[in-house]
Amino acid sequence: MTLLLARRFGQMLLIMAFASLILFMIFDTEEFKKKIAVAELGGFAVSALSDQDYQEWLAAKGLDKPFYQRYFTWIGDIFRGDFGHSFEKNTAVGPLIADRLWNTAILAFWVFALMIPIALVTGVLAGMSEGSAMDRSLSFVSVFTTSIPEIATAILLTVFLALGLGWLPAKAAMTQGFDPWQLVLPVLTLVLYGFGYIARMTRASMAEVMTSNYIRTAVLKGLPYRQVILGHALRNALIAPFTVIVLQLNWLLSGVVVVEVFFEYDGFGKLLLEAALFGDIYVVQAATLIAVVVACTSQIISDVGYTFLNPRIRFA
Amino acid sequence: MTQRMHPLVAQAREQLAQGKLHRREFLRTVTLLGVSSATAYGMAGGILGENLVDPAMAQSGETPQAGGILRVGMQVQKMDDPATYNWVEMSNQTRHTLEHLAITGPDNVTRPMLAESWEPSDDLMVWTFNIRPGVTWHNGEELVADHVRWNIERWCDPVLGSSNIGLSSIGALMENVDEEQRLREGAIEVVDDYTLRLHLNKPVLSVPEDLYNYPTAILHPSFTAPFSANPIGTGPYTLTELAVGDRCILRRITETTDGQPFEYWGGEVYLDGIDYYNFDEDNQLVAFAGGDVDTIYEFGIEQLEFAKALPGTIEEARTAQTLCCRFQVDQAPFDDVRVRQAIVKGVDNTVYRDLVFQGSGDVGWNHHVAPVHPEYFELPPLERDVEGARALLAEAGYPDGLEVTIDVGNTDGPWHQTVCEIMRDQLQDVGVRLNINVMPASRYWEIWDKTPFGATAWTHRPLGTMVLSLGYRADVPWNETKYADPEFEAALDEAEATFDVDERRAKMERVEKILQDSAVMVQPVFRPVFTIVGDQVRNLQAHPTQYHQFNKVWLAT
Repeated sequence: MTLLLARRFGQMLLIMAFASLILFMIFDTEEFKKKIAVAELGGFAVSALSDQDYQEWLAAKGLDKPFYQRYFTWIGDIFRGDFGHSFEKNTAVGPLIADRLWNTAILAFWVFALMIPIALVTGVLAGMSEGSAMDRSLSFVSVFTTSIPEIATAILLTVFLALGLGWLPAKAAMTQGFDPWQLVLPVLTLVLYGFGYIARMTRASMAEVMTSNYIRTAVLKGLPYRQVILGHALRNALIAPFTVIVLQLNWLLSGVVVVEVFFEYDGFGKLLLEAALFGDIYVVQAATLIAVVVACTSQIISDVGYTFLNPRIRFA
Repeated sequence: MTQRMHPLVAQAREQLAQGKLHRREFLRTVTLLGVSSATAYGMAGGILGENLVDPAMAQSGETPQAGGILRVGMQVQKMDDPATYNWVEMSNQTRHTLEHLAITGPDNVTRPMLAESWEPSDDLMVWTFNIRPGVTWHNGEELVADHVRWNIERWCDPVLGSSNIGLSSIGALMENVDEEQRLREGAIEVVDDYTLRLHLNKPVLSVPEDLYNYPTAILHPSFTAPFSANPIGTGPYTLTELAVGDRCILRRITETTDGQPFEYWGGEVYLDGIDYYNFDEDNQLVAFAGGDVDTIYEFGIEQLEFAKALPGTIEEARTAQTLCCRFQVDQAPFDDVRVRQAIVKGVDNTVYRDLVFQGSGDVGWNHHVAPVHPEYFELPPLERDVEGARALLAEAGYPDGLEVTIDVGNTDGPWHQTVCEIMRDQLQDVGVRLNINVMPASRYWEIWDKTPFGATAWTHRPLGTMVLSLGYRADVPWNETKYADPEFEAALDEAEATFDVDERRAKMERVEKILQDSAVMVQPVFRPVFTIVGDQVRNLQAHPTQYHQFNKVWLAT
């Protein structure tokens, strides 16, 4: 197990180094540098700059050095806890990312807290008796909500609940400090979008378990149905969804851009999008590193968790 | 104190009395010539027998209430160097801290601000600005003419990269030495602490208008970028918090940085503070509907119906903001004037206003002068001529038609693309297959002055001559068409040197005609600007350039 963790950790570092190196190379192109200049100074002003002025500007921003040199400086700085400076936001990247990550963590927490129980219960109920009326209706609901894109759900919910009925705030910009009510619509949107997928996975897994011989035996033995489900079926049925659930962490980190941008919620995904559009190198770099860490960590968790849930799986 | 009045003021009064000059043009002209706005309104009222009130002082009959915070939905951007600002939003964030020598109101009339008055010479080549005494910087110093000199000199430094160089008046302070523009010796003269004189190398009428261009805010000479780190200004508010992409918080300044009480020169100001909250343009109206903000920067035409359904007042401004689907005249196939003329002939300019803006806005006639400009000369409408266009194409060597691509960045909203799509459909009949290459706005600003055929948004400027000088003179940085015509420039010089609006308008006929005939662009519409204001907000009007002027805004309880 220790070996597995060490290996996985090593892999993660390699991916981080590789991903950031590639990004540095991409951002090193003349085109990208020009893009930053345009974003910083504006197209009109850049066109008025002479070549020499432009070179001076690059030097002032530290962009005149070759990328490998900048890369190693950057890595050295990271070990000292300095993630660089955001061109767009004119502030240190470290605290900026920490702040946005915290916001996304709050959002993710509430999404998980609602989505997982709803999805598991729905999936189990549907999978218990495949083909029943309950199965059909629950399956319909979960497929229906999952197949609507987040942006459409977000618009529909905003129109009905915020603008129409006026029950909830339309945006989650938190202009007057943290307001839990503003979190309701983004959470609801993500839950509606995400729960169906896990519910479907749970349902499939549950349905498969329910057809297995040991369940049939348990039922024929005359065990109460409730005990068959809770005591025998559930643990095996949850192995497959577990992996899916843990991998949702990735989705909640960088896959929720649409929802964060739509509701103006200052989270990690929105930051990444803004940075990518602006060409804000150091923010994109730091965000990538964090995304890699979360992706690799969630994989490790899911692998390790899997071995606990399913004793048949062993890692060499 | 009796002040010497510019001889042309008398002429303007006469023209107003004879009905040759509209009230608004009269006000614009005489305030430009240094008459205070109160006096100008008085004159006009006397002549026309109307009771005219300066809109800045206009009230709805209610007594203004002091206090409260105005919350505004707008993109919150960084505040680095006000002289190189490239977004209006940035300038709005500083507009209540930093001030200008002049101010152009929502009515498109320019009035004195940090300059108490100004006097142009009769030939409009020497402008004397009387700096307002008693204006205090936030650090306790008094504003003097030398501070203004420092600012103007700074704009003229090409290394700074300020777009102010492109203004007629600032350009007329410079000379070309060894292929480089630099400030002329003796162009700026500090006469005394309160008098500054600009010596131009050609007559320019729009000096005060230029001095309200958004990167011309007057900074304290101690300035170092970023402005947000040390926000010293003369305005009634100061920056207390800036988080780019999140919020910009402005509060009334009551004490100078050296602990003395601060008194604002501009009289009563009502709001305790102005909070800008970051909402992307598409989100601003929903944020308003949800009660997050009291007003917004702007909403697009596609949201008009939604806005009408909301409580609040829709404010609309007629503007000279436009989209120039412009060719680069030195790049094939557009280096052949017949190709350009064929495309222009294939387009019916009249339909865009209705199709794109539901009848709001104005029709553009490919010369970039708008009906809201005082010197707008109405040329005969262009008629669509499909046969003529085909013939021209054949003559230019494209008997089977031509395929061209226009780059569009939707930098001012999705309506850019709509304009191009209408154009594509119209050009089909001529045999021109128009491909529309849509790209992100940021990408478009990288190529806006390089693409052979691109759709560039141009903002409003108070006078038509101003925009023509910025964009269509051979040696200006913003000449995206690469158009160079000495005849056009001579005609424009002449118009810019003409005070009399009627005469100037007559001269604009030639200017507009030359540009129109050169077929450098399809420029079919001037767009309106919309914003929405909550019911409790008083005295807030839409500005043609989305400039925020909240000094007299107040909140009713």
